[in-house]
Amino acid sequence: MGWRQSLQGADVPMGRTIYLNEPLRNAFCENSISTAKYSMWSFLPRYLYLQFSKTANAFFLFITILQQIPDVSPTGKYTTLVPLLVILVISGIKEIVEDYKRHMADKLVNSKNTIVLRQNAWQMILWKEVNVGDIVKATNGQFLPADMVLISSSEPQATCFVATSNLDGETNLKIRQALSETATMKTEKQLSNLSGKIKCEEPNFHFNSFAGTLYLNEKSPISIGPDQVLLRGTQLKNTEWILGIVVYTGFETKFMQNAVKSPLKRSKVEKVTNMQILVLFLLLLVMSLVSCVGAIYWKDRYRAEPWYIGKSDYDYHSFGFDLLVFIILYHNLIPISLLVTLEIVKYIQALFINWDEDMHFKGSNVYAMARTSNLNEELGQVEYLFSDKTGTLTCNVMTFKKCSIAGITYGDLSSKSDDGAKGFSQSPCFISDTYEFNDPALLQNFENDHPTKEYIKEFLTLLCVCHTVVPEREGNNISYQASSPDEAALVKGAKKLGFVFTTRMPNSVTIEAMGEELTFEILNVLEFSSNRKRMSIIVRTPEGRLRLYCKGADSVIYERLSENSLFVEETLVHLENFAKEGLRTLCVAYIDLTEIEYEQWLVMYKKAITVVKDRMKTLEDCYDSIEKKFLLLGATAIEDRLQARVPETITSLLKANIKIWVLTGDKQETAINIAYSCKLLSGQMPRIQLNANSLEATQQVISQNCQDLGALLGKENDLALIIDGKTLKYALHVEVRKCFLNLALSCRTVLCCRLSPLQKAEIVDVVKKQVKAITLAIGDGANDVGMIQTAHVGVGISGNEGMLATNNSDYAIAQFSYLEKLLLVHGAWNYFRVTKCILYCFYKNVVLYIIELWFAIVNGFSGQIIFERWCISLYNVIFTSLPPFTLGIFERCCSQESLLRYPQLYRISQTGDIFNIKVLWIQCINAIVHSFILFWLPAKMLEHDMVLQSGYTTDYLFLGNFIYTYVVVTVCLKAGLETMSWNKFTHFAIWGSIMIWLGFFAVYSSLWPTVPVAPEMTGQGSMALVCPHFWLGFFIVPIVCLIQNVAWKSIRNTCHRTLLEEVREMESSGVQVLRRDSVQRSKVEEVNLQRSASPRPCHVIFRNNSVDLGAPHGYAFSQVERAVISQEELVRSYDTTKNKPQKTFSSATLE
Amino acid sequence: MKRKCQDYESRLPDNTAVKQQQLPAFRLQLTASEILSGFFAIGLFCLGMGIILLLSAKSIKEVEINYTEKCATCAKLREEATNFDKECNCSISFYLPQKMEGNVYLYYKLYGFYQNLYRYILSRSNIQLVGADVKDVRNCAPFRTSDNGLPIAPCGAIANSMFNDTIVLWYNFNSSTHIRVPMVRTETAWWTDKYVKFQNPAFQNLSSAFAGTAKPPNWPKPVYELDEKDPGNNGFINDDFIVWMRTAAFPNFKKLYRRLHRIGNFTEGLPAGSYSFIINYNFPVSRFQGQKAVVLSTLTWSGGSSLFLALAYLVTGAVTLLASFSMMALHLKLKERKTFFLQ
Repeated sequence: MGWRQSLQGADVPMGRTIYLNEPLRNAFCENSISTAKYSMWSFLPRYLYLQFSKTANAFFLFITILQQIPDVSPTGKYTTLVPLLVILVISGIKEIVEDYKRHMADKLVNSKNTIVLRQNAWQMILWKEVNVGDIVKATNGQFLPADMVLISSSEPQATCFVATSNLDGETNLKIRQALSETATMKTEKQLSNLSGKIKCEEPNFHFNSFAGTLYLNEKSPISIGPDQVLLRGTQLKNTEWILGIVVYTGFETKFMQNAVKSPLKRSKVEKVTNMQILVLFLLLLVMSLVSCVGAIYWKDRYRAEPWYIGKSDYDYHSFGFDLLVFIILYHNLIPISLLVTLEIVKYIQALFINWDEDMHFKGSNVYAMARTSNLNEELGQVEYLFSDKTGTLTCNVMTFKKCSIAGITYGDLSSKSDDGAKGFSQSPCFISDTYEFNDPALLQNFENDHPTKEYIKEFLTLLCVCHTVVPEREGNNISYQASSPDEAALVKGAKKLGFVFTTRMPNSVTIEAMGEELTFEILNVLEFSSNRKRMSIIVRTPEGRLRLYCKGADSVIYERLSENSLFVEETLVHLENFAKEGLRTLCVAYIDLTEIEYEQWLVMYKKAITVVKDRMKTLEDCYDSIEKKFLLLGATAIEDRLQARVPETITSLLKANIKIWVLTGDKQETAINIAYSCKLLSGQMPRIQLNANSLEATQQVISQNCQDLGALLGKENDLALIIDGKTLKYALHVEVRKCFLNLALSCRTVLCCRLSPLQKAEIVDVVKKQVKAITLAIGDGANDVGMIQTAHVGVGISGNEGMLATNNSDYAIAQFSYLEKLLLVHGAWNYFRVTKCILYCFYKNVVLYIIELWFAIVNGFSGQIIFERWCISLYNVIFTSLPPFTLGIFERCCSQESLLRYPQLYRISQTGDIFNIKVLWIQCINAIVHSFILFWLPAKMLEHDMVLQSGYTTDYLFLGNFIYTYVVVTVCLKAGLETMSWNKFTHFAIWGSIMIWLGFFAVYSSLWPTVPVAPEMTGQGSMALVCPHFWLGFFIVPIVCLIQNVAWKSIRNTCHRTLLEEVREMESSGVQVLRRDSVQRSKVEEVNLQRSASPRPCHVIFRNNSVDLGAPHGYAFSQVERAVISQEELVRSYDTTKNKPQKTFSSATLE
Repeated sequence: MKRKCQDYESRLPDNTAVKQQQLPAFRLQLTASEILSGFFAIGLFCLGMGIILLLSAKSIKEVEINYTEKCATCAKLREEATNFDKECNCSISFYLPQKMEGNVYLYYKLYGFYQNLYRYILSRSNIQLVGADVKDVRNCAPFRTSDNGLPIAPCGAIANSMFNDTIVLWYNFNSSTHIRVPMVRTETAWWTDKYVKFQNPAFQNLSSAFAGTAKPPNWPKPVYELDEKDPGNNGFINDDFIVWMRTAAFPNFKKLYRRLHRIGNFTEGLPAGSYSFIINYNFPVSRFQGQKAVVLSTLTWSGGSSLFLALAYLVTGAVTLLASFSMMALHLKLKERKTFFLQ
C-alpha cells in the first residue's frame, strides 16, 4: 500500500466537492437520464430543423416559397405545400411514436429502486431520486444506480467484486477495496455522523481513472483512486452488500458519459440515393434550360406574341423568370414522397425484424430489436463481419468437459455426441448438468481399484486444492465464488466427481474426498500471471508431506517435467485432440518437496517479497526455482461454451462471402481456442501469428509474409492471421498499414487479440476506409461500443444485463446465430425492397413529369401543364403511393428457406449491382421511353379531335386526363412487373390504385361549381369514361409501354439464368418435393450451387517462423492480474467457517 | 405442461402470417415459357382489334378544305387590324364524289393557333362564366377591363379571340338550284359545359344582366347578342362560344361548328354532288402565320377517324406475335440445355 501513502495529501486539481451528509450543499445534476430526442416544447422547432436540413425537403420548401411569387407558378400556390405538409405530418407522427418509446424506456430505468440513507434511516427510493452525496446500499446482484466511492462492504478487508462486463467487456470480476479509514463504517449511526467532504475530478468518460481526495473531519486527507470507485452500470457480485457515497449522477456518470449519442449512420443505399437525387436535379435543370431555350426559339419564330394573347402587363419572358417557371413545372421530377415512403417502409421493415419469431430468444423472452430503421438495407450488403468473442460467440460460461488422467481420457463421449450436439443447438447457454463432465468410467475406475486409481485421486485433489476459489455455504449447498471462471469450472467439476472443496481458512483448505474430510495447509501460493502461464500452490498434505501442485499451460509444464514422469506422450495426444475441438486445456502436475528443499526456497522467497525494485520479476524467478521436476498427472479440458448454433452460423456466413474477423480483448490462446470450436479455424489451416515488439519487427514480419504469399496476395486463401493488440498498434502505422491490410485481406480468418476498445474501433475504421466494403460489428459489452459505432452496421447482443452495447447498436439480437437470419433473410429482403422502392419512385416521377416536357414542345414552351394541378399533386400522395409501399414492405425475391439454404444468394445484394447510378440511368431512360409513348400515343390518337360519338371536340385537359390515366395504369402495372411475389396487398395496391384514380376522376369532374375547385375538370370524367377511344387506349398504351420490359426480362431470364432465377424456379416447381425429401435433393442442389463457394486449399511455402503449421495448443486460462490485492492476500483473507458481518440490511425501512 | 405452452404460443397474435412475412404469394416468373401464352393472346387480340379499327376508320368520309389561300383577298384585308369592321365574304366550291351517310358534322380547323399557351389558358374567369359574378375578371389579364374601366364580359384572351367566321354550306342541286344545307347550331358543346360550367347571370333580361360590363375588344357585338333568335343559345351559353372556350391541346385543332339537320334531301346524310361554302371571313389567321379550314365528316362507333389507333393496334399485335415466335424458338433451343443442366 506504499503508493497510496505517498499520494496522500497530494494536490490533485479538483473539479467538484461533495459534502458528506449535507445534502443541501451538493447541487449537481439529477440521476434521472433521458435518451429521448425531443421534449414537449422542443419538438416543433427541432423537428422542423431536422426535416429541412434534408436536402430534398429543403428543395421542396424552396419550391413552395417560389410558388408564392405571383404568376410564376403554372401549378398554383399550394400544390407543393399541401403534399409537403402531409409528408411532414406523417413523418412527425413517426418521430413522436419513436420518441415516446424512448421516454418510456427512460422512465423504466429511472424508476428502479435502490436503498439510500436519508434522515438517519435506510429508505427505498427510485433511481432518479438519488443525489450526489447520498449513501447508497447495494446488495448482491444489483446494478449500481450511480458512480460511487466504496465506504465499506460485507466482505473481509472491505473488498467487493463487480462485474464490469457491461462497461469493458472483461469476463473476470473486478475487485474493489474500500479505504481502510472507512472500512469500519457500517451502521446507520456511524454513517450519519460522517462529516467531511470528497473532492474529485470533473466527470469524464475514462472508466479506469478516478482522482479524488477524502477529507474526513479531524483526519488527514486520503486520496481515492479507481480501486475505490464503483460505477453505474456495473453489477455487484459475490458480495453481500456494499455502502458507497454517490459522486456522479445521471449524465455525469462515466457510464452515461461513454454513451455518446450514436453517430447518425447513413446506409450506402441512402448515399447512392442522394447522388441519384442530384442526378435528377441536374436533369431538372437541363430540362428547364432546354425549355427556356425552346421558349426563346418559339418567340423568335413568331417574332412577337400572337395577337390573341394580348399585350401583357409585364414582361413575362425574361430568361430568369422562365427558368423559375420551368423549375416549378418540372420540380416533381424529384419524388417528394420518396423520403417519407422510405421512412415508413423502413419503419415497417424494422417492425418485421422486431416481430420475427425466429429471432425471438425464448429463454429470456427477448425479441430482436431494430433500434434504427436507417440501415435495414445495409444488412444485405455486409462484406466484413467483426465479431467480439466473449458473450457474443461464447456464452461466457465455462464447464469442465473432459480430462486426461494418467494417459486415459474421460468425458469423451463421442458416441453420444450427436445427441449432445442436437440438444446443444436447441437450447443455448443454460447452465444445466447435462453439459458438464459426465463420464461414469472415471468413477468406476476409481472405485474398482483401477491401476490409475491413485493418479485419479491425486488429480482430483489437485483440482480441489490448487486454486483461489472461495466456497460459500448456504445450508447444504456449496456455491463457489471465483474471479477466474476456469477455476470455478474445475472446482465444480471436481465436486461433481465427489471431491468437494468445502472450507477455506486463511491458512488451509478443507476438502471432502469421497466423504473423507482432508485438510491441506496452504504454505504458499505461487501466483498466476500470463507470463508464467501457470499457478502453483505449496501445501502440507494431511499426511504431513510437503507437496507442490501446479496447473498451467502444456508448454510450461512439459518443460519442467522430470524424466520420471509417465504418460507424457499419451497426454500430449489428448491435449492435441482437446485443442482441436477448441477446448481450453491445462496440464496438471505435482511434485513432492523435501523439507530441506522447501526451507531453502522459503528463505529465497522471503527475500524476494521484500525487494522493492522489480519485485514481480524477482518473485517470478523465485517461483521458477521451485517449479521443476514435475510429475505429470494429466490434463483438463474446459469448454468455453459457444452460443447456440455459432459454428453453423459462421459456416453459412462464410458461404455468403462474408469475411469474419474476431476482435477480442481476451488472450490470444482463448481466441484461438474459440476459433477452432466455432470452425473458423480448422486443424490444417496454417496460422500466421504476428507478435512483434517494435515497428521494424512488425514491418519485417509482415512484408516477409506478403512475399511468401506472392501471387496469392489479395486473393482469399485458406490461411489464418493472428495478431495481438501490441503488434496491431505497429501494424496500423501509416507505413505498414497497407501491407498489413493486404496480408489480412488475403486470409480467410483474422483473429485480433488483446485489443483495447479503441483498437477495435480503429481496425474497423481502417478496413471500412481501405476496402470500401460494408462492415458489421457485433458485440455485447461496453468495449465493443467503439466498433459498433464505427462500423457501418452495429449489432449488439442483448439479453444479458449489459445494455451499453445494445444501447449503442443499430440492431440488437439475443444470440449470435440470429445474425444469419438478420443478414441473409432480412438484409437481403430489405435490400431488394428498398432499392426497388427507390428506383420505382424515381421511375414513376420521371414518367409523369417528362410528359410535361413533351407537352411543352407543342405548346410553345409556355409553361402550361397538361394535367389538372391537384391531380399532379396527388399523384405521389394518393394515386401511386401504394405500389411503392407494397414493393418496399412485401417484396420477396425468394423464400426465406431458400435464402438460408443457399447463402450464396446473399452475394446479389452484397455486390450492390442492382442499385447504382448506372441502374438509375437505365431506369430513367426506360421511364423517358415510357413517357414518350405515354404522351405521343394518346396525342396522336386524339389529334384529330373527333373522338366522341356526338362529334364533340375536346380540349387539352381531355388529352391530359387520358394520359394521366394511362400513366397511373402503366406505373401501377410496372410495379407489378417489379414485384416478384404478389400477395393480397400487392393486388390491392395495384388494382386499388387504378380504381382509386378512376373513382376520383369521376367524382372530381363533377365538383364545380358546387365545390369551388377544378372548374376545368368539369365534365371530363363523364365524357372520357364513355369515350371508346379512352378504353381502346387504356388497353393498348400500357401494353406498348410494358411489353418491351416483359420481353426483355423474359429473354434475359431465359438466356442468362442467374442463381436467383434458378432458385426461384426450383421453389415454384418443386415446393412439395423440396419438403418431402429435402435432404436428398438439397445435396444434389448444393453441389450445383456451390460452384465457387469453398476457397482452394493453400499451397504456400512459408519461409518464416511466424507461421504455425502445427497442431493447435489448447492452453487458455483467465485470472485477475495485478489487482488491488494479490491472489495470495485474497485467499488468505477468507475464513468461510466464520459468519460474515451482520447484515445491516435487515434494519432498512422499506417504504 | 408443454402442450399448454404451445397452445399459448399459437394463440399469440404475433405469429400471424403478415408479421412473420409468410403471406401466401404468387410468384411472378418472367421466363420465355411462362409468358408465351400471354404474348400470343395479346398479339392475336391486338391484330384483331387493329383490323376492326382499320375497317371502321375506312368507313368514315371526311372532306377538308383549307380556305386560307382560297380567300386570299379576305386574308389580306384581315391582316390590317383597322379593317375589322369591313365585311368580306368568300365562296368555295367543291365536289363530293360519294354521299356522306348518317350524321354529318361541320368543323372549322385552325392551324398554328396556340390555344394551349399558358398565359392564354389562364386568361379566363370561370366564376364569371358560371354566372355567379359577372364582374369577376381577376384572372383575365390582359383583357380584364375595357379602356373606360368597365369589366369585360366575357373577359380574358380566350373569349376575346373567339372564332368569328360564319360558314354556310350550300348544296348545288343543279346549276340553278342552290339549297342551303340545314344545320343545327346547338348541341355542339358538352352537356356539362352548357348546363353546369356556363350559366348566364340570373336576370330576366339578358342585356340588363350584362349591364356595367364591356364587350371583348375584338368582338363586334356584346355577348348577349350572340344568338338573339334563341335565348337558350345566347350569352354565355352560346354553343359556339362554349366550344371555343374549351382550349385545344395542339396548335392545329378542330372545333365542332354545326351539325347536319337531317331533313328533306338530307335525311340520309349529305348526298353526293357539288357543294359550296359561303364564308364570312372575319378571323385573322395570317397575322400568326396560321391557316384555317372547314371539315365535313361522318363518325362511327368510336368517333372520328381512328386510323392511328388502328395502326397502333396492328403494329403492336404484329410485333408481339413476332416476339412470341422468337421467344418460343429460344425456349425450345434452351430447353435441351436446361434439362441437361438439372441432371
